Amino acid sequence: MKPLLSLLALSCAMARGATLFLGAYPDAVIAFDESKGQIVDRIPLTTGLPTSIRLSQDKKKIYVTTNDHSGIEVIDVATRKVINHFELSTPTRRFRFNGGAPDAEGKLFYTVTTEIDKLVDRYEIGKPKYTVIDLGQQKIVKTVDIASEDENANAGGYVRGIFELSPDGKFLYQFRDKVVILNVDDFKVVDRMDLAKPDLPGMENVGFGGLLDSIGEPGQHISLFNAADPVVHNRLFGIARFDLATRQVDFTPIGPAPQGMAGLQVSPDKKTAYTVVSTGAHGNKRCEFWAFDLATDRITKTEEVACRTRFSFGMSGGGKKLYFYGAGFEIEVYDAATLKYEKTWDLNNDVTGAGMIVIP
Amino acid sequence: MRHLQPLNKKARRISDHVTSLSQDVVALQNPQGGQPRPHVPMGCSLMFSPGWEVDAAGGTAGLCQPVERDIYDCWVTCYWPAQVPDHMNNYPNWTSKCAAATKDWRNLDLVYP
Repeated sequence: MKPLLSLLALSCAMARGATLFLGAYPDAVIAFDESKGQIVDRIPLTTGLPTSIRLSQDKKKIYVTTNDHSGIEVIDVATRKVINHFELSTPTRRFRFNGGAPDAEGKLFYTVTTEIDKLVDRYEIGKPKYTVIDLGQQKIVKTVDIASEDENANAGGYVRGIFELSPDGKFLYQFRDKVVILNVDDFKVVDRMDLAKPDLPGMENVGFGGLLDSIGEPGQHISLFNAADPVVHNRLFGIARFDLATRQVDFTPIGPAPQGMAGLQVSPDKKTAYTVVSTGAHGNKRCEFWAFDLATDRITKTEEVACRTRFSFGMSGGGKKLYFYGAGFEIEVYDAATLKYEKTWDLNNDVTGAGMIVIP
Repeated sequence: MRHLQPLNKKARRISDHVTSLSQDVVALQNPQGGQPRPHVPMGCSLMFSPGWEVDAAGGTAGLCQPVERDIYDCWVTCYWPAQVPDHMNNYPNWTSKCAAATKDWRNLDLVYP
């Protein structure tokens, strides 16, 4: 009886449709109901324009960073209300930052900031620093200089590599061309895992891509990766799983890396994955959907698609639809089974590059 | 002759001189290797990098279509700041009446620096 009830609940949830949360111009996060095909809520942000949105580990809160006044806003997913917001900027001091990671309790937010001070005769732009923001006190409580060899990867006030916290909250992982493991108390580098060697013998130039929210699993960082063999430099792409507790890396190569890929979206049953690959540039740019069977790691279907010049790729909560969104005000909907265009949803609002969070 | 490489300073100077005779000299140009790229004149984009008007190839096929799709990201990413008002410091509300630039660009605030 129990499996039947679970199946019934799952089918009800899929029929109900998920809610999509997207950053929107000029200062809002919009909640879009998949089943209704319309915006059901508009959450105003008092601190400005959303540049990144991130779901908490318990999936109950959304953390938003904004750039007008270097702000952070916390949204309660259930009520769709802002429950905490504050600005770091003052009239003479600003901070540039974009993205970061909250701790499990939702008290601290880890990121990289660049401080800009307005002096009498000039602006002084500081070096990027690891930063701890206390969400309760609503201020920066700690900054730590970044080791010179990691400075370039953190320049510009942007967290270029994705931050993840270990399950015990003691270590902070930054995923880029290597995995940098930091002690959260003093930001001392505990370890730098050079993925090219020796953890991945026979490969070079390994790099983690962005976080795959669609297969987010507790305690794991899962992303696309690119690699090349050291002899003929044949480029491969695949899926990498990094265990945040044991620091074990598990790579599954899938195939030759195309010129460009728009992330990987994995269906909820984890059997099928989709990506959009692009070749050529400007007027000669061509895009294709690629569908993968993850059991055999093979491409099962391809379909040419008229992609935008610049876009983000997403998936519906049930995994039945694929989305193109940004830059602009529309979401184009494609059927995941046939890879054919279905319809376009008009948001009547430009979305930012903050990304999309799907709440089933 | 392409397989011959200059080995000392004098040979390099001769090689550079011969190369320079075959190229146009363009004001404010950066040394570029590989494929020659189009030079976008100053009047078209004030930060010497293609803006909405042309893409990196000197055409329009690589731009967002319509181009208004891209107008807001000009100041968010600060990639083409010269073409839009300075949102971060002086004109923070210039987009506040316009959620979808493609449809409502007439509602964008006019800015008089």
